[in-house]
Amino acid sequence: MSAVLRLLSRRLGISLIVLVGVSMLIFGIARVIPGDPARIALGPNATEEQVANLREALHLNDPVVVQYGYFVADLLQGDLGVSLYTNRPVTLDIAQFLPATLELVLFAGVLMVGIGLPLGMWSARYRGRWPDHLIRVVSLLGVSAPSFVWAVILMLLFAFFLPIFPIAGRITDSFEITRVTGFLLVDTLLAGNGAAFADALWHIFLPAFALAVSGIGQAARLTRANMVETYDRPYVEMAQAYGFSARRIAAKYAFKPSLIPSLTIIGLDFAAMLGNAFLVEAVFAWPGLSRYGVAVILRKDLNAIIGTVLIISATFLIVNLIVDLLIAFLNPRIRHSERGAS
Amino acid sequence: MTLWKTTLAAGLLAATALAAPAIAGGTLRLDEVAVGELDPAKASDYADSILMFNVYDTLVLPVQGGPGHAPHLAESWESDGNAFTFKLRGDVNFQSGNPLTAEDVVFSVERMKALGAGLSYLLGVVESVEAVDSSTVRFNLSSSYAPFVASLVRLPIVDKTLVMENLGEGDGEMKDWGQAFLSANGAGTGAYRVVSHNPQEETVMEKNGDYFLDMAGAAPGTVRLRYGLEASTVRTLIATGEHDISSQWLPPEVMGALAKEGAQLFTESGTGAFYLKMNTTKPPLDDVNCRRALSAAFDYQTAIRMIAITEDVSAGSPSTGAIPVGMFGANDSSMVQAQDLDKAREHLAACSHDPAGMDIEISWIAEVPLEERFALLFQSNLADIGVKSHIRKLPWALFAEQVSKPENTPHISQLFVNAVTGDPDTLLYGMYHSSTPGTWQSPEYLNDAMVDEYLEAGRNAPTPEARQEAYSMLNARLTEIAPTIYSYDRQSVFAASDRVKAPALTDPAHAFGLDGMGFSFRLMEVADD
Repeated sequence: MSAVLRLLSRRLGISLIVLVGVSMLIFGIARVIPGDPARIALGPNATEEQVANLREALHLNDPVVVQYGYFVADLLQGDLGVSLYTNRPVTLDIAQFLPATLELVLFAGVLMVGIGLPLGMWSARYRGRWPDHLIRVVSLLGVSAPSFVWAVILMLLFAFFLPIFPIAGRITDSFEITRVTGFLLVDTLLAGNGAAFADALWHIFLPAFALAVSGIGQAARLTRANMVETYDRPYVEMAQAYGFSARRIAAKYAFKPSLIPSLTIIGLDFAAMLGNAFLVEAVFAWPGLSRYGVAVILRKDLNAIIGTVLIISATFLIVNLIVDLLIAFLNPRIRHSERGAS
Repeated sequence: MTLWKTTLAAGLLAATALAAPAIAGGTLRLDEVAVGELDPAKASDYADSILMFNVYDTLVLPVQGGPGHAPHLAESWESDGNAFTFKLRGDVNFQSGNPLTAEDVVFSVERMKALGAGLSYLLGVVESVEAVDSSTVRFNLSSSYAPFVASLVRLPIVDKTLVMENLGEGDGEMKDWGQAFLSANGAGTGAYRVVSHNPQEETVMEKNGDYFLDMAGAAPGTVRLRYGLEASTVRTLIATGEHDISSQWLPPEVMGALAKEGAQLFTESGTGAFYLKMNTTKPPLDDVNCRRALSAAFDYQTAIRMIAITEDVSAGSPSTGAIPVGMFGANDSSMVQAQDLDKAREHLAACSHDPAGMDIEISWIAEVPLEERFALLFQSNLADIGVKSHIRKLPWALFAEQVSKPENTPHISQLFVNAVTGDPDTLLYGMYHSSTPGTWQSPEYLNDAMVDEYLEAGRNAPTPEARQEAYSMLNARLTEIAPTIYSYDRQSVFAASDRVKAPALTDPAHAFGLDGMGFSFRLMEVADD
């Protein structure tokens, strides 16, 4: 078995244990949030009899361990129960809302990497000069305000005062696109509808940018700091002595080694965006899982809380796994140490 | 133009007119905060009510601009003791094309009672329901219940045939009673049919061209009801002309800003009020004089100013007592509550508890930030008469749990309460009858024989006049024993673009006096897109 496969299988095993731990933890935490889920679900006008019937149906009168047993038995059959918030199966809700969030976060991730890394690289290359100062100020602004503040500012600037971008939703109502993957950028392409694709792109840009601003700033600052350190290394001085072009030195000798710590942070940032997406989704009326997750927590919708947290945890673990593999690919020392460890 | 060309053009024009769908009309876009529950048997909150009143119809409707109820799906009705017999209209079809029959009414009642969700408790008094013939249905009540006809505004009639064809998984003959189907599809006779429904995003509806009543040509052809929009988003959407009616939950400042920019303000009132409820079992509020002192100390005028949106429109109007002005049994609108600090001090002096030792706990519901302002106002009012108090923020879930025991219930609980059928019985019985303590509506824990007697009389009186008398007596008794501070009568306010006309939300002569019914889209007009 190759070192990468061994790394993959070990990480997958750990991820599974983490998921089981998360399910137990969230199952317990969800039950100590104040309030009776049945009472909250049925609303203020429900009678005591209605509440008692629902409690019985949800097994809420059983010990927590027994409730967890019911949950695991259902989960093994792919059943996460019914959401008390939407009155639909949780799996159906997740299938409907997850693609919208994943699309938003993936697009934001592309913006974070596509803008943040080049900015950091440029800043390091021109360190101490005006482009460096400008990028550092912009990066600092990016990291100092949370995503929802950027969401409101960007909406005001580019949707209200300068009506360039749309305010809400994923696509203009007049486009009727068959949902295949749930990712509208993909579905519009599958439908061969270029205008709808452009419209979906136009809708996603502002919320994704708002979500990515902080990550862009962080990626730029981190990349710059790492590259500036690398520029002081002897092998870079040697490359300069050989007369290699500044562009080649920056891209090949300074950037690649600096990418490894940046990638780790970018991976964490990317996963954190799943949580931060809530307020951005709320501001731009983006029908995603993050908004759903917060709504179900406020209503103590136990099945939906557990389902949402498990999915977000699984996504977090998958992203970290990909980042680990990328780092192993970029850094031979990690590959070798993995081989040594095995 | 030659004759044949003219004839051809005229023919094409006529053909186009004939072929034009009956759903002509502009698009209406509005929003609500919560998810919309499409299954009418589970409908309970405002968004659900909007869906229910447009996709489904009921046997009766509240009379617009006045008291009482008028026939709707029913042609007429008569009562004989505890039996109510309804004759159905013969010209009503469901959106599926199936004709409306008495069996559909029986099925709708049985379904609501079997699911036991939403406002099904309103039908608890129905012992049996039977189809006398295909167009006659009889309800047999277990006891006399004067507001029964009023409670039928919460009985949406579903298409039995369609539901039976779409039963989902479940036990017994009725399986899931069509819950899975009706949570995503409509099965009513309503003026609007469901095109798509995503409970977190939006419900799209279109005009039902075969509706049994006439609809204005300018009634919206398509309605997009969006869910969970942020206040900043709604404000921007309305300002840019991309949204038509806001929910009532926008902060007053945002509503005011929109009004300044030219938005209309729609209102709906007479259905509920904002109450400061006093725990009558907890010292010092177990003494009636102390409760009277607190009632007299509250600054009602400032409370109204705090919720003003513009100079003319406010989210509330002065209260005259326990029953909101406009509702059956209310006091005259001139009898408004007012602050009287001298009177408050007099009552306090007569109280058996020492004011110096008092520490009143004023709670507010964490999910309703407006209530914090009222808590602060009341704290200041109490300080004016030398009573110490402290403020406590309670999440709704915790509050609902705490009020189940009188010793855990705060001295003061602030609550908005609505009459779900528009009848005072559904507002006051659950609040004040001694048989219903310990719910979110009854943190007063009131136990007063006279109040019980008047409530029973309001429920069982044979004539509207006798009911009116009972509620007037009840109002007077509640003012005398002061279990609650009647802060203000609630008025729901909605910001709207100038594309929309909604007489039921702008003209009291067309108002329904029932939460959400003003949003009957068939009665609205919207400009073309």
